[in-house]
Amino acid sequence: MNTLSDNSLMLRVKAGESHTLGLLYERYKKRLFGFFYQMNKNASLSEDLVQNVFIRILKYKHTYTEESNFISWLFQIARNENYDYFKKQKKHNHDDFETVSYALNGSDSFERNIELSERKINLKIAISKLPSEKKELIILSKLKELKYKEISEIMGCTEGNARIKVHRALHDLREIYLTLEKR
Amino acid sequence: MDYITFQNSITDYLSENLSIAKKEEFEQFLYDYPQHQEEFQEAKLFWDGFSEEIPEPTTAMDVNFYTMLNSQKEKESQESIFTKIANLFSGNLIKQLSYTFAVLAIGFFLGKQLNSTTNIPEKTIEVAEKETENVRSQLVLTLLDQPSANKRLQAVNEVQKLNSVTETIIKALFSTLNNDSSVNVRLSAVEALANYTNIPSVRKGLIASILKQDSPLVQIALADLMVVLQEKKAVEPFKQLIEKEDINESAKQKMKESINRII
Repeated sequence: MNTLSDNSLMLRVKAGESHTLGLLYERYKKRLFGFFYQMNKNASLSEDLVQNVFIRILKYKHTYTEESNFISWLFQIARNENYDYFKKQKKHNHDDFETVSYALNGSDSFERNIELSERKINLKIAISKLPSEKKELIILSKLKELKYKEISEIMGCTEGNARIKVHRALHDLREIYLTLEKR
Repeated sequence: MDYITFQNSITDYLSENLSIAKKEEFEQFLYDYPQHQEEFQEAKLFWDGFSEEIPEPTTAMDVNFYTMLNSQKEKESQESIFTKIANLFSGNLIKQLSYTFAVLAIGFFLGKQLNSTTNIPEKTIEVAEKETENVRSQLVLTLLDQPSANKRLQAVNEVQKLNSVTETIIKALFSTLNNDSSVNVRLSAVEALANYTNIPSVRKGLIASILKQDSPLVQIALADLMVVLQEKKAVEPFKQLIEKEDINESAKQKMKESINRII
């Protein structure tokens, strides 16, 4: 389907053909939106952050090289965007248990909550309690295109290190979940 | 595959980081040891816990993106003009010199072009000047008919300002020279006509006028003019005047001198 690789498209954007960015946007908008949405549970904010990612791409296009892996580069930018946003908006601390559980109760209808098994609710709470970096790692790892190699490029670490981090993130999630079950 | 390797590979399997061979090996292990299924399913639960429903982004996101992209394109096109100009002057010396000459040449032709465009107003000036001349000619003719000698004198002076004279003006001047009651006006007419002696009819008229003059001042003025013009045809009329009785002696003397100087 994709006759032109992401890399060649991005190199064209870098060369001044900004309109080519539209193709990359169409390819990645949903995945980016999904990444942000899973991180902040706010659709409108996620849309804004997607937009900001593409603004950053144009701003930093000069840093993109032929050797770059577009998807790693893209999610590196997305990660920074997410980090910068929440650094500015410290009051929106989604790691806070109370806030998230309130948000869960507020956003989902009562009936739906009933339908969700206790296990699922606990899992959701556990995910919400998982530190942002670890949550991010799992969300990124779930994307088909992102293997440990790409994760390592996004996180700025070695491939082996990326693997360990993903393993730990899932392990920590399990620990949090078990603690919740014990209550 | 042993249990430890299996345990260590669960996350790799879920995140699709296993090679095809290792993936098959992992699945075979699970098939062979179903007692470990529970452990795998638990891990899968956590992994899938993230697979929640994600809403579709709205069209507003697309609109915002393409608006941003279009404004970026506009900005780039504006920038590119400036950078192109800047690049023109950032080459080597020869390149810079050639551009300098090119700019000079453009300036030259542009200047020329601008000059040629100013020709249009020049034409209008010509038309305006022609109109002024016509008005002035009319003024001369009108003033020459005035009873006041001063006005007629002014009329003759106006003739001197004309760039070219019409036949009507010449005729009017001769009429003044031959018939005007004022000596000063007639003298002025001589002066005015002296400017058009290149016209044969003016020369002829002046010669013809010699015999019509009774004022010694005008006779002397004409005598001087004929000397300047070295007009031999004027000798005969002067001789006739000299022979007349009522002619001023000084004028006679002047005319005699003139005749001698013409010959």
